[in-house]
Amino acid sequence: MLNPFGPHRDAHAPAREPAGATLVVRLDGDLVIATARDLHHRLRVAARRRDARLVVLDFAAAGRFDSAGVAAIALGQRQLARAGKRVELRHLGDHHRAALALIPTTRPAPEAVEEPAGLLERVGEAMLHLRGRWSQLVELIAETGRQTVAVVTRRRRLPAGAFVHQAVTLGVDALFIVGLLAFLMGMTMAFQGTVQLSRFGAGVYVVDLIGLSVVRELAPMMTAIILSGRAGAAIAAELGTMRAGAEIDALQAMGVSPVRFLVLPRLAALSVTQPALTLLATFLGMAGGMVVAAISLAMSPSVFVARIVERVELADYAHGVGKSLIFAWIIGLTGSFFGLSSPGNARAVGAATTRTVVVCVFFILLVDATFATVPALFGGGS
Amino acid sequence: MTALVECRGVSVGHDPDRPVLTGVDLQIEAGEIVVLLGPSGCGKSTLLRCLTGLMPPLAGEVLLFGEPLYQASPDARRALLRRTGALFQQDALFGSMSVSDNVELPLRETTTLPTAIIREMAAMKLALVGLGGLGHRWPANLSGGQRKRAALARATILDPAVVFCDEPSAGLDPVVAAGVDDTFLRLRDLFGSAFVVVSHEIASVRTIADRAVMFAGGAICAAGTIAALTASTDPVVRGFFHRVPAAPGVAAATVR
Repeated sequence: MLNPFGPHRDAHAPAREPAGATLVVRLDGDLVIATARDLHHRLRVAARRRDARLVVLDFAAAGRFDSAGVAAIALGQRQLARAGKRVELRHLGDHHRAALALIPTTRPAPEAVEEPAGLLERVGEAMLHLRGRWSQLVELIAETGRQTVAVVTRRRRLPAGAFVHQAVTLGVDALFIVGLLAFLMGMTMAFQGTVQLSRFGAGVYVVDLIGLSVVRELAPMMTAIILSGRAGAAIAAELGTMRAGAEIDALQAMGVSPVRFLVLPRLAALSVTQPALTLLATFLGMAGGMVVAAISLAMSPSVFVARIVERVELADYAHGVGKSLIFAWIIGLTGSFFGLSSPGNARAVGAATTRTVVVCVFFILLVDATFATVPALFGGGS
Repeated sequence: MTALVECRGVSVGHDPDRPVLTGVDLQIEAGEIVVLLGPSGCGKSTLLRCLTGLMPPLAGEVLLFGEPLYQASPDARRALLRRTGALFQQDALFGSMSVSDNVELPLRETTTLPTAIIREMAAMKLALVGLGGLGHRWPANLSGGQRKRAALARATILDPAVVFCDEPSAGLDPVVAAGVDDTFLRLRDLFGSAFVVVSHEIASVRTIADRAVMFAGGAICAAGTIAALTASTDPVVRGFFHRVPAAPGVAAATVR
């Protein structure tokens, strides 16, 4: 049979009494957070032993307790009882008795789970002055970098489930609106394009016009502007409200980095969903153009698609998607910055939200203009 | 033995030109319950924010476990703070998490304990503060006193060596407030935790405090055991312990 006590074989070898039905588990050393996992394991193994009827927990050599040790013993006692074993505690010191008295005697059955009240209900009152914005922003970016490294090197984890939750609320839930607006934008572009180009008999070039402008400029920018209003504002409002409820103070006081706990999951979610949404917008924008081309130029969809494949290169897609990644970081960091540095009252949360959208759109257009002009000025690409 | 918490010539305040407290020297030893007293606005809560790593002092040095708190790197500072607990004036529970999840958070974030033990520890601490069976509730569905006690369970879930509490019994009825006091004493006896408590409730102070430090006029004005302070002839201290309204001259000196 598998040795249940692993490295503790000698110190903790189960001493069986003549009756053959008693298992003595000797607890030695401190029963604290650092050793609770091990203790939990030993008691679970003891509960699985078929040959023992009576399990004796011997505290003669046990040292200090903390709540983790008490919890492990409480849990072990219940598991042993469920396995049909009698449990006896021997050589308890007064200190042990006092600590074990922490174990609740009754475990009330949980009632039905109730719905939480909205986050915005708990908006606080204190107003702090905003100052040192710039150094705060630099600090946020630096801390984001540090925590990203810590998470990537597996020294720290993101909170469980946070990435998926954020990816769904910030990205997946925006699928419909981004898709619809991209489709309409493609249609509008195509209408304008056909009207102008047909005057020169160059109607067919509407495909090039739509293909290139949607892939390189319009899809990344439309998506970014929609997400500024949607995701950026949501991040600022949520973090601003958490600031108001002193939740962020609480995290800091616990020694948990608010950036890792709150900002990283949102940034990571946007970094994945925004390029994906941009690609979706690209294809739906082209589809919108294709519909208009089919109606007003009687161009068959297969011709349209063939020409797109011919004229739009992989580098154009990379340009658009790469830009969208930068836009994602602008949105995530701006929202987090204004949210985290919000002084924490209802009006401040509103101001943080508004400012986030304005600043996001400004920087998105600025970066976009830089991307469009700098390579051209220096003789590169486009 | 080094003190758990030590302040050396600390000044605190929001405005560097006008510190609310100056020259604070303070030492908290293991297992001690020390109450910070003083009129509203005298800077007690600001000092507590400074001790919990939320606000650097304007001058002087804060040491936790013998290490300077604000000179440490962010990681080292977090490691120091993990050995302390903080109970805020507002309960500071996460509204998006159930009470149990709130209480379990420090364990989940800073230990590798199995989930079963984490649940058990949270249930135990909730039972200890008198909230057994309410773990599945949302903070918004608890009364103010219950939220305060849930926050106390969260602040003490790691059996911290020292717990900082900002007005733990403010707004609680006397029975619940006595329960909170009793919880402090039990935690101290069981796990040797020290407590630094900002309080106005003289009854509670008499029950729990080993020592009290009184602030007035921007500095420590008296410190010592409760018996010594009760017997003090200093007008400010007398006013506090015997509920004497401040004479006009004294008010000018204490409330700036």
